[in-house]
Amino acid sequence: MGTIRMDRRLFLKSAGATAGAVAATQVGCLRYFKKGRSSAAETKEIPTTCELCPNKCSAIAVVEGGFVKKLNPNPENPKSRDMLCARGNAAIKQVYDPDRIKQPMIRVGARGEGKWKPVSWDEAFDFAAKKLSEVKDKYGPQGTLWSSTEGFQEVFFKNLGLAFGSPNLVRHPTLCLASVNLAYSATFGTVPSFDLLNSKFVIMSGANRFESIITPDTMDLIGGVMERKAKLVYLDPRFTVTAAKADEWYPIKPGSDLAFILAMIHVIIKEGRHSKDFVATYTTGFDQLAEHVKQYTPEWAEKETEIPAADIVRIAREFADAGARALYYAGRRSSWYQNDFQMRRAQAILNAIVGNWDQMGGMVPNAKLPKGEFLFMPWDEPKAPRVDEIETAFPLAAKGDGVYLKLRENVLSGKPYPVKGWMVYKQDPMNSLPDQAKTMKMIDQMDFIGVIDVQMSDMAWYADVVFPESAYLERTDPVEVMPGIWPAVVFRQQVVKPIHDTKPNLEIVQGIAKRLGLSDYFDYTIDQWVEAEFKDLPIPMAAEHMKKHGVWAASGQPSYGKTLNSDHRFVTKTGKIELFSERLQEAGHDPLPVYTAQPQPRNDQFRLILGRVGYFTHANQSNNVWLHEFVKENDLWINPKPAERLGIRDGAYVNVSSSVGSVKLKARVTEEIRPDCVFMLHGFGKKSKMQSLVYNVGASDAVILETAWDKVSGNAAFHETFVKVANA
Amino acid sequence: MHEFNWGLLIVVYLFLGGLSAGLFFAAGLANYLTVDDKPVYAKVARMGALLAPWPVAIGSGLLILDLGNWYRFYKLFLHFRWQSPMSIGSYLLTIFTLIAFVYLFAWLKEDERKWIFSKIPATWKQVHRLNVDISSWREKIAMVGFPFSIGVGIYTGVLLGAVSARPFWNTNLVAQMFLFSALSSGSAALLLAMLLDRKNPVEKHETKFLVTLDVVFISLELFIILPYIIHGQLSSQAVKDALTLILGGPYTVVFWVFFLFLGLLVPLAIEVYELFPSIFKGREFHGSRRMALTAAGLVLFGGFLLRYIFVYAGQVSSFHRMGLLR
Amino acid sequence: MAIKKKRYALVIDSRKCINCKACVVACKAENKVPVGNFRNRINEERKGEYPKLSINFEPEQCHHCADPSCVRVCPTGASWQRKDGIVLVNYDECIGCRYCMVACPYDARYFNEEEGVVDKCTFCSHRVDKGDIPACVETCPSKVRVFGDLEDPTARIHELLSTRRYRVKEPQTGNGPQLYYLL
Ligand SMILES: Nc1nc2c(c(=O)[nH]1)N[C@H]1C(S)=C(S)[C@@H](COP(=O)(O)OP(=O)(O)OC[C@H]3O[C@@H](n4cnc5c(=O)[nH]c(N)nc54)[C@H](O)[C@@H]3O)O[C@H]1N2
Ligand SMILES: Nc1nc2c(c(=O)[nH]1)N[C@H]1C(S)=C(S)[C@@H](COP(=O)(O)OP(=O)(O)OC[C@H]3O[C@@H](n4cnc5c(=O)[nH]c(N)nc54)[C@H](O)[C@@H]3O)O[C@H]1N2
Ligand code: SF4
Ligand code: SF4
Ligand code: SF4
Ligand code: SF4
Ligand code: SF4
Ligand SMILES: [Mo]
Repeated sequence: MGTIRMDRRLFLKSAGATAGAVAATQVGCLRYFKKGRSSAAETKEIPTTCELCPNKCSAIAVVEGGFVKKLNPNPENPKSRDMLCARGNAAIKQVYDPDRIKQPMIRVGARGEGKWKPVSWDEAFDFAAKKLSEVKDKYGPQGTLWSSTEGFQEVFFKNLGLAFGSPNLVRHPTLCLASVNLAYSATFGTVPSFDLLNSKFVIMSGANRFESIITPDTMDLIGGVMERKAKLVYLDPRFTVTAAKADEWYPIKPGSDLAFILAMIHVIIKEGRHSKDFVATYTTGFDQLAEHVKQYTPEWAEKETEIPAADIVRIAREFADAGARALYYAGRRSSWYQNDFQMRRAQAILNAIVGNWDQMGGMVPNAKLPKGEFLFMPWDEPKAPRVDEIETAFPLAAKGDGVYLKLRENVLSGKPYPVKGWMVYKQDPMNSLPDQAKTMKMIDQMDFIGVIDVQMSDMAWYADVVFPESAYLERTDPVEVMPGIWPAVVFRQQVVKPIHDTKPNLEIVQGIAKRLGLSDYFDYTIDQWVEAEFKDLPIPMAAEHMKKHGVWAASGQPSYGKTLNSDHRFVTKTGKIELFSERLQEAGHDPLPVYTAQPQPRNDQFRLILGRVGYFTHANQSNNVWLHEFVKENDLWINPKPAERLGIRDGAYVNVSSSVGSVKLKARVTEEIRPDCVFMLHGFGKKSKMQSLVYNVGASDAVILETAWDKVSGNAAFHETFVKVANA
Repeated sequence: MHEFNWGLLIVVYLFLGGLSAGLFFAAGLANYLTVDDKPVYAKVARMGALLAPWPVAIGSGLLILDLGNWYRFYKLFLHFRWQSPMSIGSYLLTIFTLIAFVYLFAWLKEDERKWIFSKIPATWKQVHRLNVDISSWREKIAMVGFPFSIGVGIYTGVLLGAVSARPFWNTNLVAQMFLFSALSSGSAALLLAMLLDRKNPVEKHETKFLVTLDVVFISLELFIILPYIIHGQLSSQAVKDALTLILGGPYTVVFWVFFLFLGLLVPLAIEVYELFPSIFKGREFHGSRRMALTAAGLVLFGGFLLRYIFVYAGQVSSFHRMGLLR
Repeated sequence: MAIKKKRYALVIDSRKCINCKACVVACKAENKVPVGNFRNRINEERKGEYPKLSINFEPEQCHHCADPSCVRVCPTGASWQRKDGIVLVNYDECIGCRYCMVACPYDARYFNEEEGVVDKCTFCSHRVDKGDIPACVETCPSKVRVFGDLEDPTARIHELLSTRRYRVKEPQTGNGPQLYYLL
């Protein structure tokens, strides 16, 4: 390819000349295609908040003739950094998807058979209330399970479960980031944000930030790494987009990140490169740590990680030298291995000893903004203990979130007590839990399943009744505070009227509550709810502001170092940053991260690893026509070396099997993965025929993933599955 | 991303356009050639005249159908854009088609003319006024038609050759290649028609005339194709890359085996073999009907393939990295 | 006030592109681009052998050429160029012959089956004329693209082009492409 520097004046001259000549003969301006447009229709711009992933970016909806025409980014939200990703842009198609559930439906055939009877909302509510009451009569309120994933209206769903009297609310964190949260809380008493915009040296363990989009981290990493030329070291068995943009990429041996981190700590302490003042003032347990990491030499780590010892030493030095502006980034989907908590804790400790706490370019405790609360009538606390036995099995875990996989085991065994009713909100356990066959067994043994979703997910496909929630562009949701280095308050307001017979979750909850005699607890409208929340926003005319702007962010620069005074108490047992944790010791866990080598696949096996692309959220947007265009079928990444050994050709179908299941999909023979791993994308091989673009196309990883969890947090360990691959 | 924007209809259109041009040219020429002032090739001339307008008419029809908005084709004639070969070509083609039909009319026998007009309702007075004998204009019409037939022959090549974005096309040799291919296809088609017309068995000298014409055109075509490849090899990287499409790329076999060998060299060999004794040994021409049929058929086949290869391979060729086509 | 001459162009810092395709979907929505067609795309170049690998992403769309071959070959004048350099298709005049598609060296055009006309990136002229920036430029998480007027000395693209090295794609086409790729 030729590289030139053109003389600008020269081409401008020629450009002007031809352009002028051609344009002079033309009149008129661009005419749009006539279809679907009426020039008379007025155009409105309504700010709202994207819902297609957990980032909650601020958007401005352009509405023309009652039709959402376009979503533009709203620059007022510092967290979303004036952008919308592909999914955010494609949210329009969530509304106008021909596959949408257009009214409530009750199952008439066998579960999963796909025979549905469209019913009125009254019928659907009556049916659900009757079934839930039957379960309650037989097994008590604890016989029902209420599972949900974060969302602005999730609160109403959880409240319904609690008001109904069930202790069994289970949320997504133990499928996602529970071990990260727990590890940082155990160390700092809080989970901080990472100031990637100002950092000088960033290390990431498989946090694929350029495909797994997290705001503002993804954008700030571009700003930091690409614009300011900060250094990025990236560890991942796959050559991801993040790997491609990193300064150094190491295809680390899966499961060995802990060894890498411990060896870094070893080098830094041995060479006295840690921040001595900071360690002395704010931390406890340094001596124990120093003693503990003596065994973890770079040479030892080289054998575990397959990263050369010299590189580990060099990286450790560079990291420590960047000091307050060095970051070992936490990652988010920490659902990897059974030692995940300890790996994340080692990161936290490494961060602590270089003194990047509450520093520009370091880790920053989240700033929050105040908002009001709607006061509703309280209910009695559920009396029964949780079915997942979280109090005894995972005493440190967040009680409100539950531990998903342990819960599934217990429900299946019927111990400590039977659970026979399952309500699901905004979650697709069929795809987001490992071992789909097990989830289906759990479904089988339920007397009743109700699902609230915006589309016919695989979970909804197996439900007894499906309540179609209005898409986010069709509803108004509670106000949300987004803590962070640049905190903001966001508001999601209705942009268009629901185009089908759907309802917002609050109205669905109210419909069911009414028939269960629980109406008193839900005696409000969404407008009253948000008015109450607006009240305490520290801005004049808060309601008007939020409706007009959709977001409010404190102006000015972030303030660093608020916690950096010697009498600041961290929310830990000792009030200090705990390098050594007595609480962990008391709970029967290692007080300092101890390395145990993870099992590795045999020669005829591969480790199945997971990850994302920028175009889908989890398993749930592969049926969006505008996104589906980018990946029409998932495939199995496999390195050419083993592929050759197995006679597998690029594009040919292969069988991938684990101890729990087997799937068939196309092979993608690629250099971009370690030879001992295979990778497949989430969101294909759907069972729901109302996911028509991906129904039975490709395969679902949930079918072959085995069940395992992190010992401390209970976080699902998603990368523990070994598979065999053979030509189909 | 890259896809074929032009498909088989364009191939057929280019082929048929060229065919008409070739038919008209050969027929016109036959009309001019006389021995002892006697028009010895009158039968050839008439056959050509009768055939010439149809392929281009059908081809233009196909082209219009291929448009995204066929009913807007009239817009072609609301503009004249000298930089656009298609704009110029539309006018050229229209005028040529009209001339070719007038020429056909001039070659109708009296009873044929009467028969046609008998089908037209008597009330259409204006149309019946056209029922005149213009056979005396034949030569003049042919004279006017010649440049247009050459123009159409060239145009089918210029349409592609003028596209600077496609290195496979962007040389002036393409226009000439297409012209000679058109002329050779025209004479081959005429030969084929004569051979197949059982009512008026073709005579030896007529066959010889058409075969000779074809040999000349094929040879000229060959002398363009070779420089095209050599010149391309010496040209810029993009053109060299483009030529790999027929030098090892996906169009290699069609080009060398089917087009060049079967569609060009084999018929040339047959025709030369047939002519050889009569030209070099002074013997009488003894054309075998079967040989002539085969040669003519192959020439038409080759003519079609040439357009096929150029239309498709040309669209694949690009200044971008090659192999965008997926 | 004298009307100043304009010349719109796009500067692309492709190193920052993460192939998220937000620009592609934004364009689709903004311009009603049919499913299966695209006005912009991300070219991918994957190289190397494990573990020495590289990927380059390179956004591309109509280059709004200074001397556009698409305009030259169009038989009806449906393809035309505005004074500010933006190359457009007048859909009412387009007969759908696709000659311009064949003639575009950058494969920037597509055929809209439903409308029977050819279409392509318009630099979002309807937005630009209102003083907004193109949809793909606005939505990009990495702010890979910078849109502006080359005739405006205060424009950011001016600064970029005068301080950074850049190239244009395939200048040998003679089209005078106006997408500037920073090096
Ligand atoms: N195999 C595999 N499993 C995984 C992961 C993985 O990478 N691979 N990732 C894990 C992680 S990190 C997470 S966070 C979880 C996520 O797991 P889930 O929470 O189950 O997944 P989501 O895709 O967030 O949401 C699921 C459902 O919510 C519906 N939904 C979307 N918007 C709305 C709405 O406004 N209202 C309602 N009612 N429903 C809505 C979608 O249609 C979809 O069916 O999955 C975990 N499981
Ligand atoms: N586009 C998009 N963005 C998203 C989401 C989405 O679904 N789509 N989901 C959001 C949510 S809920 C979450 S939790 C986050 C998740 O974001 P991340 O925390 O970045 O998680 P993943 O994208 O799942 O990436 C995990 C990576 O770890 C690598 N890996 C596997 N095993 C190992 C190992 O042993 N060591 C190392 N170093 N790497 C390993 C995998 O190859 C994979 O690339 O993304 C968020 N952002
Ligand atoms: S990152 Fe994308 S999908 Fe997630 S909230 Fe932002 S725009 Fe929406
Ligand atoms: S939006 Fe920006 S980063 Fe994403 S693909 Fe387009 S140019 Fe690249
Ligand atoms: S890139 Fe293609 S479509 Fe765009 S102006 Fe240039 S030649 Fe025309
Ligand atoms: S398709 Fe339309 S715009 Fe393109 S050359 Fe033909 S008439 Fe012109
Ligand atoms: S400038 Fe507008 S029309 Fe062109 S690619 Fe970007 S969004 Fe599409
Ligand atoms: Mo997650």
